[in-house]
Amino acid sequence: MSAESLILFFIVGAFLVGIALLFSSIVPPTSTNPQKAEAYECGIPTEGLTWLQFNVGYYLFAIIFLIFDVETVFIFPWAVVMKEAGIAGFIEIVIFFFVLGLGLLYAWKKGALKWE
Amino acid sequence: MLMLIMRHELLLVLITVILLLVEIFLPADRKQKIILPALILFGVVMILGFIPGPTGRLFGGMYITTPLTLLMKNILTVGVFIVFLQSVDWLKKEENREKISEYFILLLSTLIGMEYMLSSGDFLMFYLGLELATIPLAALAAFERFKEKSAEAGVKLIFTSALSSGILLYGLSMIYGTVGTLYFSDVVNGINGAPLQILAFIFFFAGMAFKISVVPFHLWTADVYEGAPINITSYLSVISKGAAVMILTILLFTVFSKVAIMWKDVVYVTAILTMTIGNLFAIRQKNLKRFLAFSSIAQAGFIFLGIIGQSQLGMTTVIYFVLVYIFSNLGAFGVVAVISNRTGKEKIDDYDGLYRTNPMLSLTMMLALFSLAGIPPVAGFFGKFFLFAAAAQQGLYILVLIAVLNTIISLYYYLLVVKAMFLNRSDRPIEYFKSDGYSRLGLAICIAGLVIIGIYSPIYEFINQFTFGIY
Amino acid sequence: MTSNQFMFLLFSAVIVIFSILTVTSRRILRAATFLLFVLVSTAGLYFLLKYNYLAAIQLTLYAGGIVVLIIFSILLTSHISEKLPTAGLLKKWPAALVALVGAALCIVVILQYNFPGSVVDTEVVNVRDIGNSLISYGEKGYALPFEVISVLLLAALIGAIVLAKKRKD
Repeated sequence: MSAESLILFFIVGAFLVGIALLFSSIVPPTSTNPQKAEAYECGIPTEGLTWLQFNVGYYLFAIIFLIFDVETVFIFPWAVVMKEAGIAGFIEIVIFFFVLGLGLLYAWKKGALKWE
Repeated sequence: MLMLIMRHELLLVLITVILLLVEIFLPADRKQKIILPALILFGVVMILGFIPGPTGRLFGGMYITTPLTLLMKNILTVGVFIVFLQSVDWLKKEENREKISEYFILLLSTLIGMEYMLSSGDFLMFYLGLELATIPLAALAAFERFKEKSAEAGVKLIFTSALSSGILLYGLSMIYGTVGTLYFSDVVNGINGAPLQILAFIFFFAGMAFKISVVPFHLWTADVYEGAPINITSYLSVISKGAAVMILTILLFTVFSKVAIMWKDVVYVTAILTMTIGNLFAIRQKNLKRFLAFSSIAQAGFIFLGIIGQSQLGMTTVIYFVLVYIFSNLGAFGVVAVISNRTGKEKIDDYDGLYRTNPMLSLTMMLALFSLAGIPPVAGFFGKFFLFAAAAQQGLYILVLIAVLNTIISLYYYLLVVKAMFLNRSDRPIEYFKSDGYSRLGLAICIAGLVIIGIYSPIYEFINQFTFGIY
Repeated sequence: MTSNQFMFLLFSAVIVIFSILTVTSRRILRAATFLLFVLVSTAGLYFLLKYNYLAAIQLTLYAGGIVVLIIFSILLTSHISEKLPTAGLLKKWPAALVALVGAALCIVVILQYNFPGSVVDTEVVNVRDIGNSLISYGEKGYALPFEVISVLLLAALIGAIVLAKKRKD
């Protein structure tokens, strides 16, 4: 990608987003009052903070996702050259898959893939 | 059979995979039985490692073994074996029973990382090995995660190692920018002492100094050592540190040999700072884990005396000292671990009158501390003596003088612990208990190592024949 | 100024400004969001250099994966809404001084270095080349790191599960 196309990309992006914002502020009828800014809580005034502590499960899912995401980074280039790589490349990727497959199996067995 | 060159690592990967498969397929109620087979497997791997085999280069020079690196790997493996023996008692506790095989797997993967790091032929493999040796350790430091201090130790370890890796990588990127390659053999030729390369070296050295916990990069050490489970603490202070010292010595002697005039100054200053500050802080400690943490900082300063020699003698003394240090520190930590597991007591004051109730443990501790302090005829004396000789050979008499003064200070605080055990009286001493067989075996190996290395001089000659032509 | 230089300056400015905002922000969730901008601009720099694959990884892994992970782990903590206390002047000024002097030193030393020859136009590094060197086991091949990374990922996975799994009771 050349610099010109990047510039064009930014200009078009800014233009589209700007247009959308502009239209939505001009076209629809507007009325503002303090109640509108509050979070909808079945009509009762909201209490306390909206921040709450997340379940550790999200974190576990995210990190497992990330590890296999990293794995795809290495598998993708192999997949591109798979045909010319020959048997050596195949053995390498099999070892790679085997080790990470063990990881997946472990995560599965430990119930890390199950939502509690 | 080219792959025989990589036999150490491949065997370790193999037993890691076996353990993982067992962990996956074994029913939960039989997990405890994994300890003995795991120990036997690792023991077999350790013995197989000593069998002489081919050395050479693999993967286009990315992986290099020499007789020297094989020796280093064997030393580390023996150390890890002792750590495993010492942790059995702790692993059998109720709260750790669920994660016994994970403990083995994680610790083994750090060992794999260290071995790849020692055998690396380029900076990429070196860095990968370093990361593989540190990331699982953070999980291990936080192993008792429901204890606040253990979790804190894990967080502190991962933060400092991330920071130090960042600094190290920044330095390596500068080296790559100036030289255009990461292979050690090519980097050597490209290094010419340009200011950018010197800056790069300083970043690299700072990154490694974090791992070895050299002053002024030592601030994480005491907290992490105190919070982590005691076996992990001994692993961190002995195996991790030993491996980092070894690879740093190799890299300084080979890759950075052309800028030796410059790095010698850096090592000189950090050696003095590390010895002195480590010692001064060790005096004030009341908790034995923190005490041993600072004592291990001071010991790292002494090791630098051998590195600064930059000679065959220097290399031999560094390896010899690390070997002795592994046995002495693991001996001391082993005793602390046994007592902490059985009674939960970790303060120096708690050890008052220990000799009356547990004479064997006290004697082991005394021997280990004597070795750390460098009192003859235990091996530690010769370790320190050779280090001083290596520095004196270079004419660095002031440095040697400071080191000797520091040894005297260290003598004081090591003897404080010995005095507590043997002379102090206490109303409520630690009661007599029989420690488990594994710990006793581990401690026996430590004592045997200390005595044999101290008395049997061919070991030094044995190491010496490997270090020939390293620099 | 060529368009290339312009885009380089734009991305670098975004990186510098948002990096400073990341470390000075007293609200941790905002710091994570600022970090996102830094990572995306870094991807932009890779695009400029025509490292298309690296840029794609930067976007999916860092901007997509790691920032999400950071935000999840922030939301895990119980003090998300709290503002961190601002550092006192006694800490602020020495820290700023050290950072500035360190940065200045690095910049001066890097500028001083006489880098041999400059590449006029960068070649597009295509995925095919990356794939070939990733699986080649000869000189300049990366087969060994490729395999060791799998062990590293496995160890990281096991470590994460050991730490984050709930206690069975």
